[in-house]
Amino acid sequence: MVLLLDTTEEKIGSEVLRECGLNKKEEVELIDTTEMNISNCNGCNFCWLKTPGECTLKDDYEPILKKISSADQVWLISDTKFGFISYKAKNIVDRISPIITTFLHYNNKKARHIMRYDRTPDLGVIYSGEGNDEFLNRWCDRLASDLGSSSRGAYGREKIKEAVSCM
Amino acid sequence: MHVVVINASPRVRKYSNTDKIMISFCRGLIRRGASFEKHAISERKYWGVIRQAFLDNDEIVFAVPLYAEAVPGLMLEFLETLPKKDNRTRVSFILQGGFAEGCRLRCGEELLRDLTKYLGVSYGGCLVKGDNFSIRLREGECLDRIIKPYEKMGELFANGDGFRFNQAKKFTGPEIYSTPVRIATDVVFKTVAKRTMIKMAEAAFGCTTPLDYKPWAQNSYELDSAISQNEQFFTLKKKYNM
Repeated sequence: MVLLLDTTEEKIGSEVLRECGLNKKEEVELIDTTEMNISNCNGCNFCWLKTPGECTLKDDYEPILKKISSADQVWLISDTKFGFISYKAKNIVDRISPIITTFLHYNNKKARHIMRYDRTPDLGVIYSGEGNDEFLNRWCDRLASDLGSSSRGAYGREKIKEAVSCM
Repeated sequence: MHVVVINASPRVRKYSNTDKIMISFCRGLIRRGASFEKHAISERKYWGVIRQAFLDNDEIVFAVPLYAEAVPGLMLEFLETLPKKDNRTRVSFILQGGFAEGCRLRCGEELLRDLTKYLGVSYGGCLVKGDNFSIRLREGECLDRIIKPYEKMGELFANGDGFRFNQAKKFTGPEIYSTPVRIATDVVFKTVAKRTMIKMAEAAFGCTTPLDYKPWAQNSYELDSAISQNEQFFTLKKKYNM
């Protein structure tokens, strides 16, 4: 399943979904997070050390994380600020810690956390505004590699077709 | 010199690794005759005060924990509320994280450097160091051993060149481990470090659930694996009398 998480003010997730439809992509789910109450990660580490696998913040995030944990791909659709994704999109990323364990291992010459579940989704970014494309691609690569998955790349809004072709 | 030191961690100050690092860094500042004021963005009600300190001063240090290869979402949100300043204001960073190798923090460092361009301020460099995950779980001498080196960095910062001195570069430690060190570290991860983490979780948080417990195990394979991990966990606890 391809999961699209829209955090943009203009809700450009619907454009992405339309393009998915034109390309006959099946099993695509769009979640509009813009009206949801999703707090920032508060760094308590309870999801690693006190209530393993569960976040103590009880807001609208948990159902999203459940979907992330079972998706094949997760695409973050974000506005940009400072050339990077918005804080709203970053909050969604920061809060994936419950699907990661505190245990570590070396995998492919890189120290990584051991994932809690057997499946880890590939990651992609679709951004709106003045993003630093090179940095966003590097960041997405690094993050996916931390999770033991692959990056599908970061694409500006004008390259939605290209992004969808990579799904 | 007067330095505004801002903790960009979302974790409450009492348990903040970054705060403990800042305390040590500020000790060094004082030793060399500099003064400082310490702030933390974890409490939103003080954002107005911190913004004013940012506006009124020209030597700013953000102390930042690495979150998902970048800065925490809360820090991005706070930065959006800052007014633009000019390059008479210098912003420097202390970037810290859990993984020990320097290469793990470089992506975050790049973002921090770029942030100064967007804020319109000059970049004073970035003090990069990992291997700090266990700070909150340590006390006394063990804790001092980890945070003490930041005191020297505070002293050198007070010389007035931000973090643009050689010792700051060396402070990071190894950029990437050699193959033998990597293999040895992997063995430590899977044995001593794992046992220590289980022990600490129980001592500090009263956690008796296996740390790799899967609350959302979805299929029979994952369930079997979760059950087997549970059994392994209790065997391990028994073996090491935990």
